[in-house]
Order: sequence, then C-alpha cells, then structure tokens
Amino acid sequence: MRTPLPTMNEPRPTASPALEHSAARPEQVVQLEGIRKSFGKNEVLHGVDLSVHQGEHVVIFGPSGSGKSTLLRTINLLEEPDAGSVRVFGVEYGPGLRKGGPRGSAMELRRQVGMVFQQFNLFPHLTALGNVALALRTTKHMRRNEAEDRAARALKQVGLLRWAAHYPAELSGGQQQRVAIARALSLDPKVMLFDEPTSALDPELVGEVLGAMRSLAESGMTMVIVTHELNFAREIGDYMVFMDHGLIAESGPRGFLDRCENPRTQQFIAAVL
Amino acid sequence: MNLVANYDWSLVWEHRSELLHGMLTALEVAAVALVISTAVGLLLALARMGKAPLSWLAVIYINVFRGVPALVSVIWVYFGLSLIVGISFSVFQAGVIALVLLYSAFIAEIYRSALGAIPRGQREAGLALGIHPVPVFARVILPQATKIAIPNIGSMFIGMVKDTSTFTVIGLLEVVRVTQNLNSTTFQPFVLYTAAAALYVVAAFGIDLLFRTIEKLLATPPSGRVARAFSRRRRKRLEAVMLRLESASGRT
Repeated sequence: MRTPLPTMNEPRPTASPALEHSAARPEQVVQLEGIRKSFGKNEVLHGVDLSVHQGEHVVIFGPSGSGKSTLLRTINLLEEPDAGSVRVFGVEYGPGLRKGGPRGSAMELRRQVGMVFQQFNLFPHLTALGNVALALRTTKHMRRNEAEDRAARALKQVGLLRWAAHYPAELSGGQQQRVAIARALSLDPKVMLFDEPTSALDPELVGEVLGAMRSLAESGMTMVIVTHELNFAREIGDYMVFMDHGLIAESGPRGFLDRCENPRTQQFIAAVL
Repeated sequence: MNLVANYDWSLVWEHRSELLHGMLTALEVAAVALVISTAVGLLLALARMGKAPLSWLAVIYINVFRGVPALVSVIWVYFGLSLIVGISFSVFQAGVIALVLLYSAFIAEIYRSALGAIPRGQREAGLALGIHPVPVFARVILPQATKIAIPNIGSMFIGMVKDTSTFTVIGLLEVVRVTQNLNSTTFQPFVLYTAAAALYVVAAFGIDLLFRTIEKLLATPPSGRVARAFSRRRRKRLEAVMLRLESASGRT
C-alpha cells in the first residue's frame, strides 16, 4: 500500500449546521498545509493539509501509525513539523518563519488551544481542584482563591465538584478524563483537541467522557478529535478525515461514514463499527 | 554476663553530655551538607541532562567524586582546598564541603533516575496548558521527582552522618573524637566505642523514621496522622470555595 489512492475529498459545506444563518463562510480557525514530520529516518506525515472552521467538529480516524495523533499534536506545536505551514487564528507557527520560532509564541498558541490526552496526564501530586487551578495560577497569575473558584466552576461543569479535594489516584478513569477536560477548559480555549480520549478507558466508563464531550460540542466549541469511537463521530462530527500511512486518504462532511468510496476507508470502518 | 560485670558501663552515663554533643555536631554537619548537596545534586542532574560541554563536566564531576572516600575528601578540603582557594575553613566548614563534594554526586544520580521516571506526558500536559517550561518543571516535574528521590536521599543522609566519623582527623569534635579523648583518659575502649556505635544506630533509626514520616506526608492521597491534619485544612478551604460557588449560583 505504498502508493495511496488519490485523495477523495467531498466538498466541504459552505457553513456548518450551527452557523446556517450567517451569510459569510465561518472563519478558518486552524489551517495546516503541507505538514511533513519525521521521527529519525521514519517519515510519519507526508505532506498533509487540513483546515478547521469556527464551531466545527472534525474527527480524524484511521489505523495505528497513520499519523493522526502526530497531526493533531502539530496543531498545538507539541510536535514541530519539519516542513509546512501551521496557521491558527491567522498567526503562522510553522517552521522557518521567525514569528513562530521562539518559545514564547508556542505558549501563546497553547493558551488558545486546549488538549486532552489519551493517558489523561493529570498531575498526581495535586487534587482535582489543584490540577484545574494550576494553569490559572501560573499563566493568568490569578490569586489562589480566585483560581480555585474558577476551577470549582469548571469542575461543576463536568459534574465533578464533589470530587474536587480528591487526588487523581482516587478517581476512576472516566472521572480522571473529565477532570482533564475541565483542566483544558479552565483557560477558556477557543479550540479543543482530543487525542483518543477514550482509548485508555474501560468500556463502561467511555460513556461518561463522551457525554462531557457531547455537551461541549453542543455549546459550540471548535473541536478536533482523534478517536476510534465512530458511532460518536457519526453523531457529533461535522467533518470526517480518514488517515492512512501518513496521508489523508479520504475525507468528507456529515454522512461520510456511510458514503465513503475508498475501499481502504470502507474496510477500516467495517472493521471498527 | 561477664560483659556487664567486668566493664565500667557507668562511664557512658557519666560522660553522656559530651557524647551527645558529639552526636549533635555530627548531625549538624550532616544536615547542612544534606541541604546543600540536594541543591547542588539537582543542578548537576539537570546539567547532566542538558547540552554538550555542561553535560560532560557534570558526568566527569559525578564519576570522580563518587569514587573518593570521605576521609580523603575531608583532608584534601581542609589542607588542600583552603590553600588553593585562599580561605582557611573552620573544621565545621571543611566537613560540610567535603560531604557536599561527595554526596552531591550521589544525589545527582538519584535525581537523574527520578526525573527519568516521570512520564513524558506530564511535561506535555503542562506545556499544552500554555505554562512556561520553567514553572512546568518547578510545579509539575520537580515535586514528583523529589517524592521519588526522598527515600534514597534519606539513605544518603545516614551515610553522611556515618562519614562524619572520619572527620576526627581534622579535629572536628564529633562522636569518634569525643570517644577517642575519653578513651585516652579512661582506657575503656570497649565500653566507649560500644556507646559510640549505639549513638550512630539510634541516629540512623531516627533519620529513617523522619524520612518515612516525610514520605507519608508527601504521599497522595495523604496517609498518616500528620498528613491527615494537613488534608483537614485543605478540605476546609475547599468547603469555603464550594460555599462561595453555591451562594453565587443560588443553587445547591
């Protein structure tokens, strides 16, 4: 499968359903162009383009090693692409350009883009409240009381306020991931990235996390989700992207999962669903 | 039971204050050295994990000083280093410096493995929140690494206290020196050195207990009586936060 089939992309709708009434096309919030990334001698992304619009929910799926997590992590510069353009809210962060170069800019980007990890990555030495309040105290330099109030509000939003004084080790996987979501939301990001948020969870805990993501989606948050949960993707996804071997093999708007033409895509969907 | 009858054990009680003072001096030297070597050791560990010329210097330092015995170190510092640097150290200062030179190397290795044990995702999560790398290190990585390092640092501390016994050669008035002095007047080495050994054992026991309490204090979730006292305060603060939130929204 070295030479992938040419990208079959269905045309994007001019407006996502949430913005039917706006006359203008929703602004492009994230724009990736020609992203290439290698780890050592292994090229993982062979020049990928992706754009995300305001309020859109983009779902990226595909087999392991297809580069989907790497692509997601390029958006908040946890992976620095070897080549290509990373444009978020109109500001260029890609390689070679002085503007996106120094550490400071990456920090600014990450304050507008929140991320939720597969392994939760909660800070084990802090309580749930402490986890959510940390960013507020260090980046927004809030005083402790104010930060804790904001953190408590964020925890209440995901329904975990009564667990605020507990440590991550005392929480179930689903609760930990919801705290992680609250933590990412504490800085009021404009885009949320999810890197296989339910892949490390017991099946019965997956639902509570998807529920939190669903309410986030309903509130109009721009989301880019890498996941294997294709039923969930079908429910909230505005634009689906199937990646294979470091390239986008096929992509399309709502209903894509039932309408895809690439046999590889069909094979993958049949295996997962 | 000849052991008890034929020896003058009352000597120990008679000279208890001198012996205890000697132990106190040993503990003071070791404690000061502990604080400084932990700081230096951490810096060395960071240098070791850093970039080219600095990391080599750190490696050389660590490998050299892990091999030097305390006795050699303290003589070298007291008589040699003071000449090189031009400052004449007191015996206390020389003792501290000698211990720091050695134990910062060990602690550097302890911290290096502790830092390596922290999953990469911790740093990524901190950075992904837009936190600057320095506070990510200080507030996320370092607390976790220190928790891992504490038991080993405790063992190092016991080693430091024992190494102070060699400082008698430069005249520091610690346990062995006191025992030697007493022995030269009373000629009861068995009794006196048994007492000295017992002092070291008690000190080691105490330090072990101290560090185990510290570990329990730092454990999350908190375990042990002291830690639970702290968590009661935390819960009170949390209740205040929740009260403010509920009064703001007007709902339970």
